[in-house]
Amino acid sequence: MASSKSEEDVDDKGENDEGKHPEGNLLNFEPEVPVESMLVPTDNFDSFEQEAPPDPATLQDDDNLVECQKIARNTSDENTEDPDKNGTSRSMSELSLVSVESSEPQQVDDEVSNNSEWRSQEKHIFILSSAGKPIYSRHGSEDKLVTLFGVMQALVSFIGDDGDTVRSIHAQGTLFVFLIKGPIILACVCKTRESVSQITVQLNYVYSQIVSVLTLEQLTRIYEQRRNYDLRRLLAGAERLVDHLLIALETQPALLLGAVQCLPLASTTRDTITSTIVSCCNKIKNLVFAILVGGNQLVTLIRMKKFFLHPADLHLILNLVNSSESFKAAESWTPICLPKFNSRGFLHAHVSYLAEDCQACLLLLTVDPDLFFPLSEAKQKIVEKLRRASLLQSINAALAHPGTPVSQLGVPEARHFLYKCKATAQFWGPVPAPPYQSSEGAKRLLDQYRVLHHRLHAPSQPLKLLYLQDHAETMLGWITTGFELYVAFEPLVTKANAISAVNKILRWIKKDENGLFITNAPTF
Amino acid sequence: MSGADFKVVLLGSEDVGKTSLMKRYIQDRFQCRPHQNTIGAAFASRTISTRGRQFVMGIWDTAGSERYYAMSQLYYRDAKAAIVCFDLTELVTFDRAKQWITELRNHEEDCKIYLCGTKKDVVDDGIKAPALSHEKALQYAKGIGAVYMETSSKTGLNVGELFQLIADECVLPSIHNRDDSIKLRPSPNKNNACCLAS
Ligand SMILES: Nc1nc2c(ncn2[C@@H]2O[C@H](COP(=O)(O)OP(=O)(O)OP(=O)(O)O)[C@@H](O)[C@H]2O)c(=O)[nH]1
Ligand SMILES: [Mg+2]
Repeated sequence: MASSKSEEDVDDKGENDEGKHPEGNLLNFEPEVPVESMLVPTDNFDSFEQEAPPDPATLQDDDNLVECQKIARNTSDENTEDPDKNGTSRSMSELSLVSVESSEPQQVDDEVSNNSEWRSQEKHIFILSSAGKPIYSRHGSEDKLVTLFGVMQALVSFIGDDGDTVRSIHAQGTLFVFLIKGPIILACVCKTRESVSQITVQLNYVYSQIVSVLTLEQLTRIYEQRRNYDLRRLLAGAERLVDHLLIALETQPALLLGAVQCLPLASTTRDTITSTIVSCCNKIKNLVFAILVGGNQLVTLIRMKKFFLHPADLHLILNLVNSSESFKAAESWTPICLPKFNSRGFLHAHVSYLAEDCQACLLLLTVDPDLFFPLSEAKQKIVEKLRRASLLQSINAALAHPGTPVSQLGVPEARHFLYKCKATAQFWGPVPAPPYQSSEGAKRLLDQYRVLHHRLHAPSQPLKLLYLQDHAETMLGWITTGFELYVAFEPLVTKANAISAVNKILRWIKKDENGLFITNAPTF
Repeated sequence: MSGADFKVVLLGSEDVGKTSLMKRYIQDRFQCRPHQNTIGAAFASRTISTRGRQFVMGIWDTAGSERYYAMSQLYYRDAKAAIVCFDLTELVTFDRAKQWITELRNHEEDCKIYLCGTKKDVVDDGIKAPALSHEKALQYAKGIGAVYMETSSKTGLNVGELFQLIADECVLPSIHNRDDSIKLRPSPNKNNACCLAS
């Protein structure tokens, strides 16, 4: 935790400023919204329905939480932090205390958990079975943490015994968040500025990743048959997907926003790519989605008329592509479960890169397990046609483009921003420029966005507009029915300048909208 | 529709070197970089000639991870030959190979089995001791009427030979009978349909 002082400053100023909504001065246009979107529109936590728990601050009197709060000796609100005391060690000993009560072994494996590097990690993620079997640990081998897993299992079942559910524990700068999903327990122990609901969303993503490789059907069946099953057997090789997903959650705004970024392309170019794919595939029955991605961005997405793709599923697809070198080597045919689409079964995906000289990845998803060769043929035809029309070149040029820095937009006051179009679940942001170019800078910026995002979407008191001034930057967040805008300014920007910058940003987005976003919803 | 004249499938535990074997055969390359699990299965094809004729061999490289086990039939169905791989230095992979063979025998009677001990170079260079003797593996293979080969994708040892042997043994009897159907096979209807629609 960098400094809790600065955070308090932020909060204080923020509180003061919230009263003076400058919304009246803001342009009130909204970019065009397509009638139908290819992606399911997301309104942040909506995408996880009831899965994100209410903010614990609003639940102080809730009986279900009393139990949890008794456990943490120093129950603290997530905003009050005390970095002077050694958060982790205290928290760990608190966990041990719990296990004494429930008469479980309390000796945490010394080798790993006393290791200072392990202890100093900002964020731990653990996955275990409800029987306490280790499944995954972000840092350190889960084998060496058997006792710790036992403690977590004991804690969860101890509280679960009374029909309660442990959701979070707040203790001295360390936050413990739990997510219990049938036979699986996911836990996060962190010292970051993330909120319980944000972390719950992340744990849900991790859970979806596991469902995506196994299906919910299989996951449930395995544990019904053998409560003590070691799931690592089935997940062998998939830890990499979870690792990669967690890195994406930490470094990319996409998952925070529940939106995807599109590869910027002239709309005529994109439309031709789309119609080429449609023309080569429209005789193929049972093709559900055709998705072309490149550089972690969406090039185009075509769907069967009656189906939609949820951005959370698309994130899992992007995660699979980004973390699997093996797709580059050969045409693949792989089962994939998209939990939002259908958590019970697999789709079959034909996955291939367009060409040696065009590193965009095409995924053709079907319900028919015998469709590999027709899809393989279709893919070849798509590539031939795209090549003849010089569209592979256009894709390459877009992929090679370093991205637009904010300095090119004529908005000198703004250092960075994220614009999300809610109806299409797409977002755009300029390429980070100083001071956000370094990885620490980028991380700090994302942290700022996270705080802003959380405050705006706080389940207890959602806001439309928020202006937070800090010694490092001034952050502005604005949510309308059509879009969400998050802007980072110089710390000393005046409110008038900030407002005029926001208007300029919106005008610029409006002008370039057709290249930055996919505004139609193509179907087969 | 099969994309090839005959189908060969690679089976075996994770990490035994199935993808490396295919890569050596198709591209004549070997990469020693960290292991990249195959996801589901990968397909590649190569023309191979046997007794003066050219055939397209379609090779399915499956993932060794247990979670794809339930799907494996999808990949080995109708295969003319299965290369069942095990790592010469890992006994568990030999046991797994035996299980694969039993399963193939039960579900795919006509599929010829080629038991393949991989990473021979590791044994030859004395980096690791073999987990079982050549004789033992050979004896097992003979017992089930399979061919036994030891390969190295790193040096290329026996890789071409293995696939050539498969072509020689598997292609002729069945393909000969279907000579005509092969010429007609590249389904012109489908192709035209797609082109017209564009
Ligand atoms: N020295 C040596 N290493 C090999 C050989 N074949 C494969 N390897 C190494 O063994 C590891 C696994 O190889 P892969 O070919 O990816 O294994 P696989 O059987 O395809 O694994 P899955 O896709 O997970 O089922 C890689 O690190 C290879 O470099 C070989 O002949 N000699
Ligand atoms: Mg492989």
